[in-house]
Amino acid sequence: MAIHKGRGFAAINYPIGMNLGGDPAQALVHSTPDGKFKVALAAIDLGQGMKSVTRQIAAEAIGVPVEDVYVDTADSDTGPHDMGSFASRGTHRVGNAVIRASAEARKQMLEAAAEELEVNATDLDTDGRGNIHVKGAPGRSITVAETATAAQFKQGRTLAGRGIFLIPLSDTDPDTGEMTPVTCFAHAALVIDVEVDDETGEVEVTEINSAYEVGRALNPRLVEQQLIGGAWMGVSHALYETTEPYYPDRSHAPVDFNRYLMPGPGQIVPHHIAVLERPAEDAPFGGKGPGEMCANPVLPAIANAVYNAVGVRCDRLPITPEKVLRGIRANGGAQPKGRR
Amino acid sequence: MLTVERYDTMAEAAGAIGERVHYLAGGTLLMRAVNYGYPGIDRVVRCREVPREIRTDTGGIRIGAGATMADLLASREVEFLHPVARLIGGPAIRNMATLGGNLFARSPYGDLAVTLLALDAQVIRAGGAAEPMESFLAARDRARGLVEAVIVPRVSAGEFRYAKVTRIKPKGVAMMCAAVWLRGAGRPSDPRIAWGNMGAGPLRAKAAERALNGASLDEHGIAPVLAACCDGLDPQDDELATAWYRREVAPVHLKRLLLGGRR
Amino acid sequence: MARTPLTFTLNDAETALFVDEGANLIDVLRRGAGDLSPKQGCAQGNCGACTVLIDGELRLACLTLAETVEGRRIDTVAGLAGGPDLHPLQAAFMDGFAAQCGFCTSGMLMAARALLDRTPDPSRDEVIEAISGNLCRCTGYEPIVDAILDAAQRMRQGGRRAAQ
Repeated sequence: MAIHKGRGFAAINYPIGMNLGGDPAQALVHSTPDGKFKVALAAIDLGQGMKSVTRQIAAEAIGVPVEDVYVDTADSDTGPHDMGSFASRGTHRVGNAVIRASAEARKQMLEAAAEELEVNATDLDTDGRGNIHVKGAPGRSITVAETATAAQFKQGRTLAGRGIFLIPLSDTDPDTGEMTPVTCFAHAALVIDVEVDDETGEVEVTEINSAYEVGRALNPRLVEQQLIGGAWMGVSHALYETTEPYYPDRSHAPVDFNRYLMPGPGQIVPHHIAVLERPAEDAPFGGKGPGEMCANPVLPAIANAVYNAVGVRCDRLPITPEKVLRGIRANGGAQPKGRR
Repeated sequence: MLTVERYDTMAEAAGAIGERVHYLAGGTLLMRAVNYGYPGIDRVVRCREVPREIRTDTGGIRIGAGATMADLLASREVEFLHPVARLIGGPAIRNMATLGGNLFARSPYGDLAVTLLALDAQVIRAGGAAEPMESFLAARDRARGLVEAVIVPRVSAGEFRYAKVTRIKPKGVAMMCAAVWLRGAGRPSDPRIAWGNMGAGPLRAKAAERALNGASLDEHGIAPVLAACCDGLDPQDDELATAWYRREVAPVHLKRLLLGGRR
Repeated sequence: MARTPLTFTLNDAETALFVDEGANLIDVLRRGAGDLSPKQGCAQGNCGACTVLIDGELRLACLTLAETVEGRRIDTVAGLAGGPDLHPLQAAFMDGFAAQCGFCTSGMLMAARALLDRTPDPSRDEVIEAISGNLCRCTGYEPIVDAILDAAQRMRQGGRRAAQ
C-alpha cells in the first residue's frame, strides 16, 4: 500500500466567442433625466461578473462615474438580442457592443452640453466624476446631471446609444479548408499535483499552480474569483461529476446532490495563480474572457498527474477511484513515472 | 390529497400508522418525499409527545427515538456514537434528523442503524415490546407502529471502531460504512461487524466476525478477517460505486479501521 | 383542501397566514409571507439554499412541515441587516467576493450566523464544518470560508469596541 505523488501539466489556447453567424451582441444605452445611464442587455450574467464588467465599460466609455451606470440584464423582452452566455464571450462580445452604444450616447451627451455651454462639442471632455468641461478650461463646465435635464426638458434630445458587435462570418477556403474562426484567444498553463492511493484508487488534488492570460483584467478581483472557482469546477469535472456514471449504460443516474458528487469545502485545493495581461486589439479595453478556460485545462492536467503518479492513463471522465484501481490492476500494480 | 393528523401520545400515533400513513419525525426523509409528490403518502402523522431523552437504563443507555443527531452529539452518555453522528449531514440536518428516522433510512443513508446493528442494540416499540436490532432491520419494511427508543450497550471508546467511506469532505454520503464492536479491551471477544451500503440494508459480516474472534489486531492476525469480510454481503452497483469496487476496497477500509491508521 | 391557520414570528414581525396541508416552510416563507431571501434549491435537503434559523437553531425550510413552526421564531437573511447597516457577515461576503451567482449565499449566511452565534472565534475547520451542508457551485468555497473568518474577527473587534 502506498500513496503516490504525481504531477501533471496542461496548456490551453481558448477561443473567445463563436464563429457561427459571427456571434453578434447588442446593447442599448440611455440616460435618465438626472444623468444616470442605463444599459439594457439581453445577455445573461450567471455570476461570472458580466454585469459588473459591462458597467465598468459603459462608465469608462461614456465618461461618467461607475456609480451612475445601471446595467439591466437577462430579459430578452426588454434588452436587445444577444446570442447568450457561452464560449467565454461575455466580456468580449457584449463589452464591445456596450462600448459602441456608449460612444453614441457620449456623443449626444457632449452635443447637449455644447449647446448649454455655447461651445463646439469637439472641444469638450469628461472628468469621469460627473462633469463635462471645455478642454484646457476646467472652470467652464456643466454637470452630466444638468446636461441630461437640459436635453430632456429644454432641448428635446435623447442621450442614448445603440451598439452591435459583429465579427464577419469567416468563410472556409474551398481548397485549403483555411478559415479564421476567432479573432482572439485566451491562454493558460497549469501544473497540478495529486496523490493517488494505490489500494483504493482515490485521487486527491493537493496543489494547483497556474498562469492565465486573459487580456487586460478589467476587474482583477472578479478575474481571480472566476479563476479560483472555475478551477474548482475543473477538479470537480475531472474527478467527480457525472450524470451517467456507467455511460453508455444509462442506469444509476444520480437523483440528488448527495449522489451527484462535487468536492466539498473540506477539499479546497491551494491554488496559486499568476494572471498575465496581454490586451487583445479587438477586445474592450483589451479584456478577453477567463470563462470556460479556467476549468478546461484542469481536466487533462489531472489526467496527466494521475498517469505520472501510478501509470494509469484514464481517457474517460470522471476519473473515478474505480477506473484508477482497475488501471492499476491491469498494469500489475502502480507504475509511478517519476519526475523528469 | 395529503392530510396531516395530530396526536398527543405515542400510543395514539402508533395506532394511526398504516398503509400509506407515515410518521413525521425530523422530516429529512418524509418531507423530501412529500415535496416530490411521492404517491405512497396519503396521511402524515404528527405527535406532540416526542421521546428524545438519553439516559442510563437497564441493559445500557436508552435513547429516545426522537433524539436528533445534535442531541446525540450533545450527550456525554453516548460519546462513543459521536464519530457516527458527526458525519451525518450538515449542521441543519443534524438538528432535524432523528435516530428513529435513521432506522428506516435507505442506502446511502442510515449510518446510525449500521452502528446500532454492530452494537447489538435493542429496539423498543411504542407499547414497550423489545426486539434485537438485527431482526428489526430485516423486517423494517413490513414494520407497523412506532419505535419509541433504542437501548444501546455502554461501550468504551477503544472497543468501538467506525469508518465512513465517502468521497466528499467533510461531509458526503457513505459509499460504504463499517462499524466494529470489538467487545473487550484486549483481543476481540465475540465481536460484531456491520456494514452499510454493502447490501440492501445494514448487514452483519458474520464470517468475518468469527475470524476476528480472539484474533490479534495486527496485519497477520486480521488477514483471515479481511478475506472473509464480504462473505454474506450483497453489494450493488449504484451512483456511488459498482459492486465490484465495493468488494475490492471493503477489505482495505476494514484493514485500516482495525489497524487504527487512516491509511 | 383544509387550510391550517399558522402564526409565527418572522424576523421580529408577527406573521399570520393559512397554509395547505403538507406545505413545507420554504414555500410558506416565499409565497405566503413574501420573504424571498431563503432560496428553494433541491427541496431534498441536499443543497442548503433554504437554510433558516428556527428558535435560533439551524434548519432546512424545505424539509420543515410548515405547521410545525406554530408560535416559533424564524430568522432569515432578510432580517440579518440592521436597517441600512449590513451584518458583518454580509459585509465580509461582499468585500471578500464570497458570492458569484448568489444562489447559495442566503443559506451560507444563515449557516455562518448559527456558527458565530455559538462560536465567536471559530477555527478554519469549524467554519468548513459549519457550511458542510451548503453547496456552492461557483466559488470553490475558499472565499466563503475566508469571509466567515473575516466576519468573526470583525464581530469580535466590534464587540470589544462596543464594550469599551
